[in-house]
Amino acid sequence: MPVQPWLLLGAALFALGVYGVLTRRNAIGVLVAIELMANAVNLNLAVFSRLHGNLHGQAFALFGLALTVAEVAVGLSIVILLHRSHRSVRVGAASELKG
Amino acid sequence: MVAFPPVFGMSAAVVGLATIVAPLAAFLLLGLLRPLRATGTPAAAVAIVAALVSTACAFALVFAGAPREAVADLTVPWLVSAGQTWATLGVYLDATSVPMLAVVTLVGLCVQVYSLGYLHDEPKESFGRYYAFHSLFLVAMLLLVVAKDLLQLFVGWELVGLASYLLIGFWWQKPSAARAAVKAFWLTKLADIGLGAAIVVLYVQTHALDWSPATVQALGPAGATLVAALLFVAVMGKSAQFPLHVWLPDAMEGPTPVSALLHAATMVAAGVYLLVRAWPIFDAAPDVRLAMAWIGAFTGLFASVVACAQTDIKKVLAYSTCAQLGYMVAAAGAGAIDAAYAHLIGHAAFKALLFLGAGCLIHAVHSNELADMGGLLRRLKFSGGAFIVGALALGLYPSKELVLAGVGHAGLQGPLVLLLAAAGLTAFYMTRSVLLALFGPASAHADHAHEAPASMLAPVLLLALLSVAGFALFDSVAPVLVAVRERPHSWLGHIAHGLALAGFAVGFALYGPRRRDALALPGVRAGLAFVRAAAVDRAFQAAYRMGLLAFSRSVAWVDRYLIDGVMNLSAFASQSGAERARRIQTGKTYDYLTAVVAGLLLLAVASVYAR
Amino acid sequence: MAQLAFGLVAAAMLGSGLLAVRSRNLVHAVLWLAVSLIATAAAYVLLSAPFLAAMQILLYTGGVVTLMLFGVMLTDHRHDGGAPGRLSNDSAPQRPWLGAFFAAALFGVVAAALYQTPLPVPAAALDASTARLGELVLGDHLVAFEAISVLLLAALLGAVALARKTDP
Repeated sequence: MPVQPWLLLGAALFALGVYGVLTRRNAIGVLVAIELMANAVNLNLAVFSRLHGNLHGQAFALFGLALTVAEVAVGLSIVILLHRSHRSVRVGAASELKG
Repeated sequence: MVAFPPVFGMSAAVVGLATIVAPLAAFLLLGLLRPLRATGTPAAAVAIVAALVSTACAFALVFAGAPREAVADLTVPWLVSAGQTWATLGVYLDATSVPMLAVVTLVGLCVQVYSLGYLHDEPKESFGRYYAFHSLFLVAMLLLVVAKDLLQLFVGWELVGLASYLLIGFWWQKPSAARAAVKAFWLTKLADIGLGAAIVVLYVQTHALDWSPATVQALGPAGATLVAALLFVAVMGKSAQFPLHVWLPDAMEGPTPVSALLHAATMVAAGVYLLVRAWPIFDAAPDVRLAMAWIGAFTGLFASVVACAQTDIKKVLAYSTCAQLGYMVAAAGAGAIDAAYAHLIGHAAFKALLFLGAGCLIHAVHSNELADMGGLLRRLKFSGGAFIVGALALGLYPSKELVLAGVGHAGLQGPLVLLLAAAGLTAFYMTRSVLLALFGPASAHADHAHEAPASMLAPVLLLALLSVAGFALFDSVAPVLVAVRERPHSWLGHIAHGLALAGFAVGFALYGPRRRDALALPGVRAGLAFVRAAAVDRAFQAAYRMGLLAFSRSVAWVDRYLIDGVMNLSAFASQSGAERARRIQTGKTYDYLTAVVAGLLLLAVASVYAR
Repeated sequence: MAQLAFGLVAAAMLGSGLLAVRSRNLVHAVLWLAVSLIATAAAYVLLSAPFLAAMQILLYTGGVVTLMLFGVMLTDHRHDGGAPGRLSNDSAPQRPWLGAFFAAALFGVVAAALYQTPLPVPAAALDASTARLGELVLGDHLVAFEAISVLLLAALLGAVALARKTDP
């Protein structure tokens, strides 16, 4: 089976993630969308591993998994901090950076 | 270069330095130590001792027996550019500066001693302030005299102007005094622009600021004319030449000793001293010298006419000072710089004498007006006599013949006629003043007039003695001091003497001892002269309003709308730009997320298509 | 056979992914994310990456999704425009057309690039034993592995530090 459909699948999944990041008002919703994007990237790594006939891609996909887990941990702690300080997890709640 | 012989066993330059350091120390002591200044008479003593030291040093230099070419140079490089020293700071003694040192210090000393009596009633604090100002003036004037180049001279010149301002406005509570101080300051500053511009031109043209023949050579004829013209503008302001003379009569608002020191004997002579000092430059500018001769001669006649109509004894003397300075300037214009210098020195002595004598009269009747005096000689024998000596000297002083001879020798008939007429008028108005003030029936004020205290009489008598000595020994002293040519016993001298005698006679006839009510007699002429005197002032005011204010307004416009406009525009541009750029930072997380995604899209597009 | 399996996996991934980003109920959204992740694990199996599939289920579905559910429950959404009485609701999507535009644009660019790029058809099978993968990770990519482990440690410490209740 050719790899193009797989890669298109990964791109579609990434695009879904982009849509979620841009439209979610809730910070946890944004994190969910980001997970989708990271997942799409990992999928692409696995596909290219298959394409090139070696395991380097899979190894990097493993690293990517670990990175994603770290990102979720930090992201969720930020969300909790945001909730604590602003009584809200809306993405628009924190606007202290306004110039 | 011939070295100056040592004085007091020290190098001459060190002694010259001491003449400045002594009053400087006095000024610093009085200026910085308020308790000392507030003691009054002890403060005055400090200043007088300093002036005494200064005078002793200066006279030691005069009598050191130095040959005319001798020079003592104790200067340090001040401004060094590209390895070349173009300005120095220090003491430069030669045959030009040493006599002036003696004149300045001696008159300064006399005036300081005199002021002890004259300002006796002043509060102690302002008495100390007065002596601090006097010491400052001495420092400034001596700094000017011993300058080796124009820059140090400029510093002294401006400081002298400052001291003049402070001393004219010494009675600053009097509105007229405050106004006169400001007027003198601004008018001389206006003229000083010439000196500043001359320095700039000289530096640009020659990279030097001195007046050596080499510098003049480098300047070229056109440059010399320009620099000389600019310098002469400054001279006109400082030495009260028409039409910049209007500040000098008003400066009489200051205490009389101040008038004697600054506005008769020394400071106003600084302009003429500049002519003498920077003579090589003027020598190379014949056009400027011609203008000088005419302006000086005209000032001489004009001021003499106006002096005839004054009723204030100090104003008479002020206009007389204008006229005598006109003589000096005219002599310099005719090339007779030695005559100008001789007249400067002689004039310093007898004009200081006249002012201090007039001060005694004023002190006795508490009024400047001639009408309030009269018959004073009976009560004020010494000071009255000294005043008469001064008046005779002013009318007949031998250096005037030198001036006339110089002008005649240069073939300047017009200025010569003006100056001869002025000589006759000088004798007339001095006779008038003497007769009105000292003879005739005693006025109401004169009844309780009393002779001045010793502190005032001593300087007056000393100056009278010096005037007489100068008069009698002129032919032997003058050549030593200023290397004048032989006094010409020509027809010019006889005419001048004749005119002076005629002036005395006319004055005697009009204001004779029985004192007809002659104040009103030359009323027509007085009115005319007054109108003309005032007209210059008024013309100045009009020119000031129209010219300077319009200029100021245009400068203000340029500043406000062009320069500030550029500034404001750039400030506005960056501010509004920043205001707009600020809006990018919305602080809203989804806007940042959108930007991140847009950037990602751009990167993707670029990596796919931009290969 | 392979095409059918791909179609099923792709449909599951995209469908659940769409629901994960569109669902108004956050708990549902996280659960749909879990479905999408499990479908991805199936995709890994099809791509002959069994160890990756195992890790995907273990880490993502077991760890990440659980963490997120905790996050939803620990935070209070009543002030955030959700329906009253529903703790976990998100309000209506903001600027949906902008999101759709960027999603479509990115997908379009990548699709166009894929269309332009000739890619070979890979060999039928790939020997992806866990032993070989382990040798690779701890051999060629040892430095990256160690870096990732340090990063994980730092991230977890940071997460604790951030979320800890600080002294007032």
